[in-house]
This record gives sequence, structure tokens and C-alpha cells, in this order.
Amino acid sequence: MATGFTLLLAACLLLVLAVAAAAVLGWADRAFHVEVSPQLEAILSALPGANCGGCGFVGCAEYAEAAAAGTASLTLCGPGGASCAQALAQITGSSITPTFPYRAVVHCAATGRQRLPAVKPPYRGELTCAAANLVAGFQGCTYGCLGLGDCASACRYDAIHVVDGLAVVDYANCTGCKACAKACPRNIISMVPFKSDRMLVVACCNSDNAPAVRAVCPIGCISCSTCSKKSSLMHMEGNLPVIDYDAYRDESDFVEALAKCPRESLIFVGEPHPADLVKVAGEELPARIEADFQTTVDDTQWWG
Amino acid sequence: MTMDSITLLIQIFVSAAIINNFVLHYFVGICPFLGVSRRVDTAFGMGCAVTFVISIASLLSWTLTYYILRPGAPLPAWLWRVAGGAESVTVDLSVLSYIVYIFVIAASVQFVEMYVRRFSPKLYKSFGVFLPLITTNCAILFTCLEILKQLQDPMRLWGLAEALTLGLGGGAGFTLAITVMAGIREELELRDVPRPLRGAGITLIVAGILAMACMGFAGVDKSIETTVQYLLH
Repeated sequence: MATGFTLLLAACLLLVLAVAAAAVLGWADRAFHVEVSPQLEAILSALPGANCGGCGFVGCAEYAEAAAAGTASLTLCGPGGASCAQALAQITGSSITPTFPYRAVVHCAATGRQRLPAVKPPYRGELTCAAANLVAGFQGCTYGCLGLGDCASACRYDAIHVVDGLAVVDYANCTGCKACAKACPRNIISMVPFKSDRMLVVACCNSDNAPAVRAVCPIGCISCSTCSKKSSLMHMEGNLPVIDYDAYRDESDFVEALAKCPRESLIFVGEPHPADLVKVAGEELPARIEADFQTTVDDTQWWG
Repeated sequence: MTMDSITLLIQIFVSAAIINNFVLHYFVGICPFLGVSRRVDTAFGMGCAVTFVISIASLLSWTLTYYILRPGAPLPAWLWRVAGGAESVTVDLSVLSYIVYIFVIAASVQFVEMYVRRFSPKLYKSFGVFLPLITTNCAILFTCLEILKQLQDPMRLWGLAEALTLGLGGGAGFTLAITVMAGIREELELRDVPRPLRGAGITLIVAGILAMACMGFAGVDKSIETTVQYLLH
């Protein structure tokens, strides 16, 4: 009888607790109701609700408040992406300026063979950019890519590789995480807003004067400032041209500047032009591409 | 209140806060300890929220356990006698402890959250976001089960004061541990941590070292007892 009584009592206790809690919480929900503006609720439901904090606010609710108040940009939500920003703009009745993905750009176009060696005994140190950057004798150009692949090993998306001794970004994979830019000891990787699939970039970072550049590199910028005279987008800063990406449009007047550049310091990066693709369509890739062990770092050498 | 009970309260508090710290000695409440310990101010907010919820939980769980759940509790015993059962049988409802604790704590925290949101938006903003995260956090359930353990033993039947002190001490200890952890992690942000250990790895190592440091307090409770008695007499 005692067991049956205990069972009955347990069931009754839980039932009583459930009814009591339901009554109290139901009452409290109505009694303590807080009026929230329908706009805020709409914003909150349009957000992903991941509470990831990527926007810089504590949780989606706080960001929704800031967005409703107009104190925060509507494009901060990373997980929501463009569609979320669009939805927020519709709810708040404001318009959003389109934002562009930032992608890594290597400001050097000279392959390992083009960069002239230093007039010193050959470098025999550790094959990482960080180590090679510490000494003067690695290569002639003290600004350009070292080609030892610190950026490639920092990349978690397989989006930057050392090709012919030069770091080349694979824009199909690049997410703009800046890991390569942080890893580069020479700071030659910067982030550029990709307003279209192909972007014009300055592919040299040697800020020495023309004779000094000519001495170490066949293609580096010789600060002739032709491009800055031909195009309104560019101006000279030190011995290098700087492209104004705020004013950059696909149809901007850079074609002439590009044609007049006596070196190869202005290049397009990103998606190849359709005409160029047609041009190389006939060429065949070698069946097997040999790794260039002179200039790439194999991580295994660290672990033996 | 006798001297002995004051000594016991101080002992319970210091023991829960430092010597047998919930996080660093029993390893309960690890998820907020690792998850919300990136910045000192949010960590402190989390600690305060946990202290608050633990206090509510120990109040409720002591009341429910003392009157209903423990073996030989007054309410079931009275119902048993009304139903006509024999005096010698004790009705034991402590099997229900887990479900009742979780249920009651979750409901009461929900209630408190609604109340705070309505009447004190500022307070809600500072730790309202943490409340749903910790309603039935293991540190809180641990406190309730500790109270149940004390109440199941008729030799040392705890009163409400002891239960509340355990809750407050446990909360204070949690706040201490998570704030120290956040301080260390803020420093670690600037340090060159070996790559394989970055993130969770180094955090767990730091937590382990903190736990080992906490072992140094083992045995202090006895000397606290003598010191307190000396001071009071």
C-alpha cells in the first residue's frame, strides 16, 4: 500500500506543481507584459537569432534595438548576409548602400625568377618569410613578395598559393579573413573592396626611386606617375600610385593609364576577362605540375 | 542563534566559495565558465546572475525538500496518516528531486526574468541575457542536490540559513573563479600562444592550472573553524 501511495503522491505532486507554475507564469506573462514596438519585433524575427555577437552587440535583441533606433548600420549581421540586410531595410523603411566583399590583394607581381637575387651569399636560413625578412640578403627587392608561403600556410580556405615564387590569391576561395595579410611580414597583402569580379590593383609596393627599383626588379613601379596623370582614380603617394577605391567604377577612366604603364605595375586581379579565357582555351595544362621545392615551404620539415 | 551555528555558517560559506569551489573543485558549471569568460565585465555579470539564481534555487529547493521531498517530510507523512497508513512507515519522495528541482528553478527564473524585465529594464539589460542560459545550469542543480544530501541525513538537518549560505557562497565562488579566468584570458589574447593550443586548448589548460592552485586551500576549513571559534569566544 505504501508503494502505491508514494506513486500516487508523486504524480499528484508533479500535477500540482505543473498547474501552479502554469497559472503563475501565465498570469505573470500578462501582468508583466512589456509593450514592444511591432517594428522591433519584426526586426528581431528577421534576424537569424544566432546571438553570435559578430555585429558587436550582445545578442540579436540588442542589435535589433540599435537597428530600430537607427544608431547601428543595417548591414552588420554576418550570418544573415545580404538578404537579412535587405529585410531590415524594408522593415525600417531605409535604404542600404550596397557593400562589397573585401578580398586579399598581393601588391607584388614579380615571380621568383623576375626578382633579382641580392649581391650577397645565398640565403641558407629557415624557409619562412618571417625568417627571411629578418636578413637583408634574401633577394634584391626589400619590399616585394618573399615567396616562402607564410600566407599560404596561414590561409584556412586554400585561397592563396605560392606560384612561381609569388603568392597568388585564388579569388574563388578567398573569404577576406585577412589571415594572410596578418601573416605577411612585409605587409604587402592588403584588403580591397571587390566592386566587380575584376579589380585593378597596384601590383608593386617598392617605394624606392626609379634607379633603385630598376636595379632589383624588371617589372616594378618606377614612379613615372603616368597613370596618375591619365586617370582621375590614381594619385602618387611617395613613389607609388594609389587607387581611390571609393570612386572606383568598372567604367572609370583607367584604360589609358593601364595601357601607358611602362612596367607591369597595374594589373587586374579576380575573375579572368572572357577574352583572355578564349585566348588560352587552346592551351593544354601539363598533366602533372611539379612542385617548386626551391621556393615553397613544406610544413613537414618542422616536425621531422 | 548560537555560536556554533554562526561558525557553521561561516564554514559553509568559505568552503563553498573557496576551498570546495564549485567550478575548480567539483567541476560543475564549466560551460558558462569557459563560454562567458572572454571579458571581465561580462564574466562578472554572469557571476552575479549565477549567484542570484543559485540563491533563489537554494531557497526553493530547501523549502520543497524540507517539507515534501526528504524521507520523513511532514507533508507526505501527514497525508499518509490521513489515508490511514501505519505510523512506522516513512514515505520517501526524494526520487522526485531532480525533476522537481529543474522544474521549479526553471519556472521561478522565468518568473523573475519577466518581473525584472517589466520593473527594472536596466537590471534586465545587465544580466537578463544570462538568465535563460543558466536556469538549470549544473552548478545550480549541484547546489540543490547538495542541500538534498544534507537533508536526507537526519543527524545534520540543515536549516534554511545553511542552505542559503551554501547558495551564496557557491555563487560567490563561481563569480570569483570566472572573473579570475576572464582576467587571465584577456591577458592571453595578447600573448603568443602556440598555434595548436589556441582557443579551447589553452583555456582548458588554464582552467586546470587554476583548479590545481585551488587544491592549495584543501584543509583550510579546519583552521577556519578554530579561528572563528577563537574570535567569537
